[in-house]
Amino acid sequence: MLAEALEHLVRGIVANPDEVTVRTKQLRRGELLEVRVHPDDLGRVIGRSGRTATAIRTVVGALAGSGGARIDFVDVDRRR
Amino acid sequence: MSDQLHANPDSDTPPVPGEGVESATEAAEPTPERSTGPEAAPEGGTPPAAQSATGTQASQLSQLEGEGDVAADFLEDLLDIADLDGDIDLDVDNGRAAVSIVGGDLGVLVGPGGAVLEALQELTRLAVLRETGERSRLMLDVAGHRAARRAALEQEAAEAAARVRGSGEPLRLAPMTPFERKVVHDAVAAAGLRSESEGEEPERRVVVLPAADEGP
Repeated sequence: MLAEALEHLVRGIVANPDEVTVRTKQLRRGELLEVRVHPDDLGRVIGRSGRTATAIRTVVGALAGSGGARIDFVDVDRRR
Repeated sequence: MSDQLHANPDSDTPPVPGEGVESATEAAEPTPERSTGPEAAPEGGTPPAAQSATGTQASQLSQLEGEGDVAADFLEDLLDIADLDGDIDLDVDNGRAAVSIVGGDLGVLVGPGGAVLEALQELTRLAVLRETGERSRLMLDVAGHRAARRAALEQEAAEAAARVRGSGEPLRLAPMTPFERKVVHDAVAAAGLRSESEGEEPERRVVVLPAADEGP
């Protein structure tokens, strides 16, 4: 549910919703949600001073409950 | 891109003569990030009295209703995904789209101090921006949280105004969110006093000022 909620939130605000993917990784310390967006949309999901990324983390973290949620916005360009 | 988008809501709004102290003092403040807060935008939007052309009013209304529809779609899907029971109420209030999620057991979407509500409002505004190309100042409420908070703040502001009137000294209130400060500014103005904001987020707070020319 968390990954789906995260994907919905991100798709709602980017210019290229079809290029949004969320992958769930199981780490020793819990779940990590990895978000990938079109490179042009990275600024949109981060927002000025990280404002939008913070809002996304806040909402998804609330839905996650006590465990919280770790979200990584992956910079596709950088990893290539 | 973001700079331009953020600058618009402030610059495209003409100052409203006689609108009261709130708009004047808030609009005059230069802090850049304040321009993104709901409070910084023209308070109360365009007052109906200043709108001569009803056609303009009608198109503004339909634009705000359109914002509400986009917001409702965005939020309804989120409620479905999160398996939360809630209905969406849409309204237009003071020149803004007002979107309320109503239902029981929605505390998770309010969060401590309304933090989740503020975040969700931010994202909903961005979703509207994506769909309409226009920056939205829509107000989101969840389970009546803002309404209840507003009533408590109006009470607090009235009490503060009474104290300042008695003492003649400025009174600094606790730090508040932009929404909360807006409510307090309005209530202080209604009580016939002036107020201003000072400090930086998240420590920004309202100062209630004694009347400058207190008549007999």
